[in-house]
Amino acid sequence: NALTGSSGDCRPCPCPERTACAQVPGTGEVVCTNCPHGRRGTRCEICDDGFHGDPSGQSGAARPCRPCDCSGNVDPNAVGVCDHLTGRCLKCLHHTDGDRCQHCQRSYYGNALDTNADKCKSCSCDPRGTAGPLEDCHPATGQCLCLGHVTGRDCSRCAIGYFNLSPGQGCERCNCNPTGSSS
Amino acid sequence: RPTPRPDVTPLSPGTHLLFAQSGKIEHIPLDGQSMKKSEAKTLLHLPDKVVIAVAYDCVEKMVYWTDITGPSISKASIQGGEPITIIRTDLESPEGIAIDHLGRTMFWTDSMRDHIEVASLDGSQRRVLFDTDLVNPRPIIADPAHGHLYWADWNRDAPKIETSYMDGTNRRALVTDNLGLPNGLTYDPQTSLLCWADAGTRKVECMNPSRSDRRKVMEGIQYPFAVAAYGRNLYYTDWRRDAVIAVDRAVGRETEEYLPQKRSRLYGITTAYAQCPSGQNYCTVN
Repeated sequence: NALTGSSGDCRPCPCPERTACAQVPGTGEVVCTNCPHGRRGTRCEICDDGFHGDPSGQSGAARPCRPCDCSGNVDPNAVGVCDHLTGRCLKCLHHTDGDRCQHCQRSYYGNALDTNADKCKSCSCDPRGTAGPLEDCHPATGQCLCLGHVTGRDCSRCAIGYFNLSPGQGCERCNCNPTGSSS
Repeated sequence: RPTPRPDVTPLSPGTHLLFAQSGKIEHIPLDGQSMKKSEAKTLLHLPDKVVIAVAYDCVEKMVYWTDITGPSISKASIQGGEPITIIRTDLESPEGIAIDHLGRTMFWTDSMRDHIEVASLDGSQRRVLFDTDLVNPRPIIADPAHGHLYWADWNRDAPKIETSYMDGTNRRALVTDNLGLPNGLTYDPQTSLLCWADAGTRKVECMNPSRSDRRKVMEGIQYPFAVAAYGRNLYYTDWRRDAVIAVDRAVGRETEEYLPQKRSRLYGITTAYAQCPSGQNYCTVN
């Protein structure tokens, strides 16, 4: 308050990088009005939408506000894509998952960091040849967990020497007579 | 150096633009069609919020907004006063809000729950209006005089602008061709024009919804997020320019630009009319 006319009337704004502030009429609360890039909050202590960090070290060591890092798996047109404090990604796309959208969702496999659109493909395990849950496959190779003598990424084929893939049973031995078989 | 800027100022009479920048809602008085930029001020400081959508109730002179950090929907009088939170549960990413000043209801979009919901202005009588065929619904607009609702979905695979009656019946797609990212939508009750700003096609387009006479107003714009109509002008916020830009709808030309002191993304924008647009409630007619 500059109206009382003493030397301590005007005090510097409690805002980083000497940015501006204003006093809320009524409550008298001082709020920063022009926080540095990527920051918001009464004292610029929170990271802006699209940024994450802890610039004034409110919960641990101070970390500057950096753009959300979601491995290219969020839409640039979306808002609120990561947690302002932890940076955990909240809107992963293309069936990706993880704090940085860095791996494929459960029941999908592939490399979430690829640039192509179908980076994460559905496990689609064959119900006839799969032992256990159909939505479980190796996250990188997509190999489903097959019943005995069943093969193929999705457990849809019988191994050599086996036939008749039947649900829950797997495949049967061919039982060919060695005398008349060519292999 | 402290800035002796009186903030959280009650709005003077007349028509204003209200727009959101994270952590605050700003206002610019309008003098006819031009922005009184020197009188632009912060209406509300909400330092711990990320305000996305804003809407105005011309009857009680309240501003309504959605915040994606809560997430929540709140309101405050433009004459000053404490914000009141009206919806705080079952929200994920509320990115659009519309007020039916005649029916005293509000509508909002949620782009994570993929819902459009409705409630009374105090938050009571909440119900889901739509929960199907929505991917990234964002702007929503009400035309209370005719009982129509309009919204856009920026789904990258099939963007669209849809309409329905305000009770949720008669839902249909209004525009599906040649859309990219229709982030902004506005309706001018004076001219019955529905206009949208598209960050994908980088165009502003308008149509009379009952005539399907779609026409281009401007092209080659940068990155619009929201748009509001007033008189012959459209005002849109832009993510690349961090500005409010005025466009003369009739001649399809940019006329003015407002750059806030803080350089960061601007979100929703709305017109705070000095008086409510004339029009009878469709319910009182039926």
